[in-house]
Amino acid sequence: MNIQNKDSQTSVVTGLLELVAANAAQVRDEIRASLPATTTCLDLDMSALTFLDSSGLGTLISLHKTMRSRNGTVRLIKPAANVQQILELTRLHRVFEIVNG
Amino acid sequence: MHREFRDMIKFEATCDFAAVRNATLAARVWLAEKNLPEKDLGAWELVLVESVNNAVKYADPAARQLPVILELSCGDRDVEARVTDQTSGFDWPEGEVALPDPDSETGRGLFLIKSLTDQSAYFRHSCQNVLVMRRARPAMGKNGLLEVSQLQTRLAEAEAALTDMTAELASNYESLVALFRYSSELGAQTNSKVFSKRLLKDLLQISEADSAVLRLLSPNGKQLETLLVLPEDPQLSLRAIALDQDCASVEIGAARNRQDIWFGPEEPLAEDDPLQGSISAGNGICHAFFVADQLVGTATLGRRASNRPFTAAQVNLLHTFIDFLAIQIVNTRLLDDRTASSVTRRELEIAAEIQRSLLPSMIPACLPFELAAGCQSALQVGGDFYDVIPAGDGALLLVIADVMGKGVPAALFAAVLRSTIRSMPQLFDQPAELLATANRTLFPDLSRVDMFVTAQIACLNPRCQKIISASAGHCPLLVWQPGRQEAVALGESGFPLGIEPLTRYVQTETALPPDALVLLYTDGLSEMRNPKGEMLGEKRLIQLLVQTAASSSGAPASKDFLLSRLADFREQAPLMDDQTFILIKHLP
Repeated sequence: MNIQNKDSQTSVVTGLLELVAANAAQVRDEIRASLPATTTCLDLDMSALTFLDSSGLGTLISLHKTMRSRNGTVRLIKPAANVQQILELTRLHRVFEIVNG
Repeated sequence: MHREFRDMIKFEATCDFAAVRNATLAARVWLAEKNLPEKDLGAWELVLVESVNNAVKYADPAARQLPVILELSCGDRDVEARVTDQTSGFDWPEGEVALPDPDSETGRGLFLIKSLTDQSAYFRHSCQNVLVMRRARPAMGKNGLLEVSQLQTRLAEAEAALTDMTAELASNYESLVALFRYSSELGAQTNSKVFSKRLLKDLLQISEADSAVLRLLSPNGKQLETLLVLPEDPQLSLRAIALDQDCASVEIGAARNRQDIWFGPEEPLAEDDPLQGSISAGNGICHAFFVADQLVGTATLGRRASNRPFTAAQVNLLHTFIDFLAIQIVNTRLLDDRTASSVTRRELEIAAEIQRSLLPSMIPACLPFELAAGCQSALQVGGDFYDVIPAGDGALLLVIADVMGKGVPAALFAAVLRSTIRSMPQLFDQPAELLATANRTLFPDLSRVDMFVTAQIACLNPRCQKIISASAGHCPLLVWQPGRQEAVALGESGFPLGIEPLTRYVQTETALPPDALVLLYTDGLSEMRNPKGEMLGEKRLIQLLVQTAASSSGAPASKDFLLSRLADFREQAPLMDDQTFILIKHLP
């Protein structure tokens, strides 16, 4: 996993392969720890993500709440079809901005 | 009786998240070998992960030493999984499981297991518990081949999927075409409402919604005003809602929390939501939109009850279209502002032109008196003017006036006053009567627009060396006479013109011996301020007039002296009002 700051407001997380119980808490803490105070837009590049479980959803919600507390947003970039289905099944596509294409 | 052959397999994993995850991956590979379609493989992977995770999560330290056991059995019609845990067990809910609150970080595992399996049961024992889950699979024929009926079902499913994909592609194409069309209009000055209506109609069609409400933040930023309701209904008018209003409005919620709000069978629109009756409340989404972090408005889409909720793709569509709309709206506003300010600039140019044309191009001689006048405009053109008119028998009628207000209306009234006075030469030697008549003439027009004019009129008579003056709410005449330390403010002032229709004025007669100096002025002179904010005031103006009389001989030199002293007082402070004055000097 890699976290880069695109500009003073936007941070991009890439290289997420799986977001499951085994790594969910660690991913959440690492992203939070390296998030500059000025970031208001957190882009999670999900193009490499092959699998997501309910603990991974918990991490997404937690980051969403962190960003909301600073009037910012989390965007999910290019999730694969199976990941998008899990988001839709749990209706979290209503909470996150999902960017395809 | 149906006899079924079932394939079975058993996995044992150490009780930690990484190990049980590996077991589920191996289980998926095994299920793939049984020809399960991709959709079923995905569902089983998630179900197994959630159930083995629970076995790890709830294990106490003693149980951690024991393995988690995952058993699968695959028949023609279904797949069954058993997960054995060594925990103290938990209560397995019967029936459907509700999703937790969107903000909750836990509680979705059970929902996923229940949603993706057809049957599930949890058996608690003294030292271990077993979770059994079953999910139907597409049935297989003899020799492991699909039966014809299954093939037909598969084919129908594939066709439906293809139709969906084609529809999505087509809607993407439509969106692209629409966006290209809109982008060609960006920057052009279009009517926001017309543009919004077209965009929203396209959006309704592409996103398969049947109603929409578009609201914009009012200019004072306090309420959401309705711009558009689709389908249009002339009978219906949707009132604006105040942002601080205390009601269950999804629009206010979306604007305040900067988050889309959904409504549907599970979370219906509140009964007192202002949108009730204007939007199809079966399923809907409300989106607040911002430009440069500033709220611009809200857009709400709705569908009738029978329709499905909006998909992620349709929500994306809504965001993209509304972002476009927001930019167009803000653009149009900027253009409107620019046009308005250029109209104002042009108006000020016209007003300045009128004002300049009112001033006499030359001041007639009136020996032994010498006159000089000044009119300095502030940045915004005001309604000051002065006039010097030959009054017969060598006399001059002097007029100095200040029309309340600025811009073209003030300049126009100044022009009308000038003509009105000039049209009554028979009253030039009776300033009080002249003011009363001018007031009667102008009163209806002035009072209609709530304007008024202050004016000082004076008849300067060189033969008897005196001045007769009358004032309509104007600054007094300042007179310095030789041998005096002070100048005096003369005259009794009546109502400004335009206040009382039948008011009368009093006139004052003052002798002007040689060396006398008289100042007629507007309040732009006495009320001007220096950078510290101090006002000049009548007292200081009188002192300046005394100094002017002492230091200068003729009227033009007196004017220069006075102007330089006024400039000294003002320093760098900007001129807030017009400064107009007439100086009369009795040459010795």
